[in-house]
Amino acid sequence: MNEKYNLGSVYFGILGVVALVCGIADLVVVAGGDSFSWGILEIPSDPFRGGWGGLIILFAGLFYLYSIKNFSEIHHFSKAVMGSILVWVIAGCDILAMITESIPGGEEGGWFNTLEGFLGTYAPPYAPAIFLLPFSLVIIYHLHKRGGTNADMEE
Amino acid sequence: MKLTVDERWDLIEKISKETVIFGVYKHTVKDAIGELTVKPLTGIPIAFAVLYGFWSFFGSFAGFFTDGFFVKLFDEHWLPWLQDVFPGGLGNWFYAIMVDAGHMENGILVASDNCFESFGVLTSGFFLAIGVVLPAIIAFYLILTLLEDTGYMPRLAVLIDTVLHKIGLHGFAIVPTILSLGCNVPAVTASRILETKKQRFIMMTLLAIFIPCGAQLGIMEEVIPDTIGFVLLYLFTGYFILGFILHKVLPGKSPEILIDVPPYQMPMLRDVAMKLWMRVKGFFKIAIPFVLLGCIIVNILYLANIIDWLANVLSPVLSGWFGVPKETVGPLIAAFLRKDLAVAQLSAIEMTKYQMITSVVLVSIYFPCVATFMMLLKEGWKDLLGSIAVLALVVFLYGGLLHLIWILLGVA
Amino acid sequence: MKVLLMGHPNVGKSVVFNRLTGANVIISNYPGTTVDYTKGYMKVKGKDFTVIDVPGTFSLEAKDKAEEVAVKMLEEEKDAVVICVVDSSKIERGLYLTLEIIERGYPVILALNMWDIAQDKSIHIDAEKLENILGIPVIPTIAINGKGIKDLVSKIKDATPVETDKILEKVGGKE
Ligand SMILES: Nc1nc2c(ncn2[C@@H]2O[C@H](COP(=O)(O)OP(=O)(O)OP(=O)(O)O)[C@@H](O)[C@H]2O)c(=O)[nH]1
Ligand SMILES: [Mg+2]
Repeated sequence: MNEKYNLGSVYFGILGVVALVCGIADLVVVAGGDSFSWGILEIPSDPFRGGWGGLIILFAGLFYLYSIKNFSEIHHFSKAVMGSILVWVIAGCDILAMITESIPGGEEGGWFNTLEGFLGTYAPPYAPAIFLLPFSLVIIYHLHKRGGTNADMEE
Repeated sequence: MKLTVDERWDLIEKISKETVIFGVYKHTVKDAIGELTVKPLTGIPIAFAVLYGFWSFFGSFAGFFTDGFFVKLFDEHWLPWLQDVFPGGLGNWFYAIMVDAGHMENGILVASDNCFESFGVLTSGFFLAIGVVLPAIIAFYLILTLLEDTGYMPRLAVLIDTVLHKIGLHGFAIVPTILSLGCNVPAVTASRILETKKQRFIMMTLLAIFIPCGAQLGIMEEVIPDTIGFVLLYLFTGYFILGFILHKVLPGKSPEILIDVPPYQMPMLRDVAMKLWMRVKGFFKIAIPFVLLGCIIVNILYLANIIDWLANVLSPVLSGWFGVPKETVGPLIAAFLRKDLAVAQLSAIEMTKYQMITSVVLVSIYFPCVATFMMLLKEGWKDLLGSIAVLALVVFLYGGLLHLIWILLGVA
Repeated sequence: MKVLLMGHPNVGKSVVFNRLTGANVIISNYPGTTVDYTKGYMKVKGKDFTVIDVPGTFSLEAKDKAEEVAVKMLEEEKDAVVICVVDSSKIERGLYLTLEIIERGYPVILALNMWDIAQDKSIHIDAEKLENILGIPVIPTIAINGKGIKDLVSKIKDATPVETDKILEKVGGKE
């Protein structure tokens, strides 16, 4: 048991640092004013998604980092859960925005988008939160391991 | 026989000793998360995330229906079709009220090409009510219902308690405030949970003046997507400034309360659906008649040249004091009936970005819409008169302040 | 006949009301959802009942306008049967209001709602014994899934006013 939680704290420690860096990068990019892309990663520059969203990702990173102090203890563990929930909020909103953008035909087009247009919306680059999403899901495994109640809340 | 308070508690203790066994209770993750959401250090970042989710969902959902489909439907199909088949045609008074009043270009009356400008009952009225306001209201109430049913609201109340105490209220004032972002009418009733007359007066006055309703938010997202953030910030700042002043100058008490925080729970689909349906229905019962009526009245006032006349009379105040075009008098009249209608009307007037901000702020703060007005009246006419006196002062000073800011920034 | 639903805020009165009458009043997970009363109707064995959902109140000394509505309702409906809804996980506070209403001479039925939450918190209540001591029908309920509601309805006719002395006697009298 104990070893598993140690593994957990290493994992979320790393994830925490990554999230923290992403959050800071988001804020720096917004302050700079031009959006930044690197391979399949794109950091938005608008103050809402980049600035506000970036701040939340930064908080998520801090939550993860706080949790590893004593990962097996419930109050610290739930900080990691909270960190993941924050990532889900941001990534969920990003994905929802993509979906709602992909379906209508746009100003010039018909009622609905063309197939290429539809698929094109989902092509990379993606914002950092989307990359964090799969890694944040690991928390669900830990929740099951604990057999505790699920974190049923918001969004 | 009646017991005294102490005797009663004494009796309860005896009863519970015989009938209740309190076992050991272990904290669950749910409880721990509950704690994180109320402690300021962790709770404030979480509240920021909730707010982000709220706004992002609102934008995506409303944008999907309004920009994605309804704008196209109404501007490219419904409006041209009506312009074709509706009897009368441009210049006819009935046609103007129902379909399109048109506007002057180089001395010629030309037809409108979108439903923001046409201002007919069947065109703008329907477009605003169904195409813009309906999606916005559904999006708003959906999230609100989720926040309520999970149990996040009382935690937000705890979190914001200290701040709201500074304006003479307490944490639970967040409930009417947030409800008001949907519609001021149920929010006024919800103010009853506040303890003293003073608190209720402060609450209702702040709601009536500074909180824009969901319909208005939806239209603002459409008309001023880039500056809506600033407008909201300016309004919420006003909420706190005025609250602070009222708290200082009004006599009366603002008692402390103990906030009860219920456990988090999974919202039930049936309840959410039912509540959403009832609220949207309730909203539209109030809104639709006034949107349509608003279109008719404003059109008649235009046709009778009353608005032109008023515009000239009020021009010194409007352009002199507030720095907005005198044509905004039309929307300001419409704002008596519906704020959403008024903001939509503003979009058809030519002005700078900054004048637009001022006008939208003015429309928001300057008078509660008819439905809210009636609600306030029901809660007591003396308070209503007080609120209106405060309101008049606020419109002049806080609206004028915005003009001053633009002058200082050199953009007015 | 009239049935009044009284209890602290956020104990599930409105859920019970919806269950009893098939109405759709708004419920939320925070105190102070209901701020005005709602009347509804139900038929039990051919008899018509008027059920009234009122705002939650902590005691019969109203502290705000919503509580005033509740207390006024109780005072107006002198011959009503009162269903006292309490949160089983906070039963002691709930009993305070219940006793106040009993003292005023109303026939009372006690609904121990949120029975599931009490169990989650490992709080065990001996409902039968409580019934015995108080001398009124006591029914554990879980309003959100309807458990105990039928029982609650069938006990309405059994409610009678109780003297406080009797209750005091059962637990060993006044000291
Ligand atoms: N777990 C559980 N939850 C319940 C039960 N009954 C009600 N609830 C929940 O408790 C919350 C409050 O229910 P309401 O019916 O709005 O409470 P109320 O007593 O009418 O509250 P006020 O109108 O504020 O006085 C809701 O979120 C319900 O889903 C129950 O038996 N078990
Ligand atoms: Mg209720």
